Amino acid sequence: MRYTLLFYLFLSLVCCEPDDICSQSTQTTPRLVIDFYDIENLSDKKSVAGLFAIGINEQGDEINIIGESVETRDRIELPLDGNNSESHFKLYKNYNIVDGIIQGNPDIISVNYNTESIYVSRACGYKNNYSINDLNINNDIDLWIVFSDVIINQVENENIAHVQIFH
Amino acid sequence: MSKYFINIFFIIIVSLPLSSQNQEKTNSNDSLVGFNQKYGIRVGFDLSRLGRTIFDSYYNGFEINADYRISKRLYIAGELGFENKETDSDYLNSKASGSYFKAGVDFNLYNNWVGMENLIISGFRIGVSSFNQDRQEYKIYDAYNQTWGEVQNQENLEFSGLASSWIELLFGVKTEIINNLFLSFNVQLKVRLTETNPNNFENIFIPGFGRTYDSTKIGTGINYSISYLIPIFKKKSVINSN
Repeated sequence: MRYTLLFYLFLSLVCCEPDDICSQSTQTTPRLVIDFYDIENLSDKKSVAGLFAIGINEQGDEINIIGESVETRDRIELPLDGNNSESHFKLYKNYNIVDGIIQGNPDIISVNYNTESIYVSRACGYKNNYSINDLNINNDIDLWIVFSDVIINQVENENIAHVQIFH
Repeated sequence: MSKYFINIFFIIIVSLPLSSQNQEKTNSNDSLVGFNQKYGIRVGFDLSRLGRTIFDSYYNGFEINADYRISKRLYIAGELGFENKETDSDYLNSKASGSYFKAGVDFNLYNNWVGMENLIISGFRIGVSSFNQDRQEYKIYDAYNQTWGEVQNQENLEFSGLASSWIELLFGVKTEIINNLFLSFNVQLKVRLTETNPNNFENIFIPGFGRTYDSTKIGTGINYSISYLIPIFKKKSVINSN
């Protein structure tokens, strides 16, 4: 019955179900990573107290960013809108809600970019990579952001920051 | 669960010719037996592809196959077919269609009892395929797409003139069910040698080779065929049996 044994060997190869689920560790569409630096000492990172981001769509409506919460930190990841070549975000400093009224200082940033769809794998399909053209800080009377600098134009992963914001 | 059914099926398939052989053995006690050996070209078609065409709305395929006896142990064999397969997942929908040709040899590992024509075969093939692929639509994979919404592309893009080649190791049985009519089953293990990779895409399905895997160049296949032996040659053999 050595043939039967050979068949079993074959079966062990034929019967394994492939993993058709996109693995979490696969780099798919990256977010824009921004690091915050100290305006008085340009090489040092500086946390933003009570930092909170909200998206603004084309109609000017506020969009909640999934997974975003108020936190003092020196790095933020923002998902870009793959259906448009521009995304707008309201970045709050000292965000707080007191008696239903939002407190804090919002500054609006606009990111302009080109989008490219790149094939990943049969399970993950395609991802978007972005190439940043420019990042602007909309003028208002009370800016907490002093200036920004795009250091990496190609948004391909989230390992390092693409933009530095000084405050 | 289906794995066990297939296992049982295999055991039955393998044990059928063996058990009929045992009966034969007890009956043959003549010292000299004359019998006709017939051989020639055996042609047939794949029933499993026909069945899948009927029951799987994402699949269309047909295969004809043939083998020719060189010696009792060695057969040259080949397959010719076409396949269409649509692959639909959450993020990607594509369709491959094309034709393929496989050629190689089968080795018969089985010593038949007098007058029987069954085979247990092990063989190899070299396969080539010429095909097109349509990327029908895709969704951008973005773990954070709840914020802005999904990005979809429904623009059909055709990749034509694709080709692939592979080698294949197969193992199976051929049983004569009625005079000159054979039912055969084999499983194939394939290793892809070459393929034209479409720009910013990949070959999801290769006609003749089957589906591809991200991590390996290995593929698998089965064949369940009915074939007819055209007995071109008939040889009268006399063997000495104990």
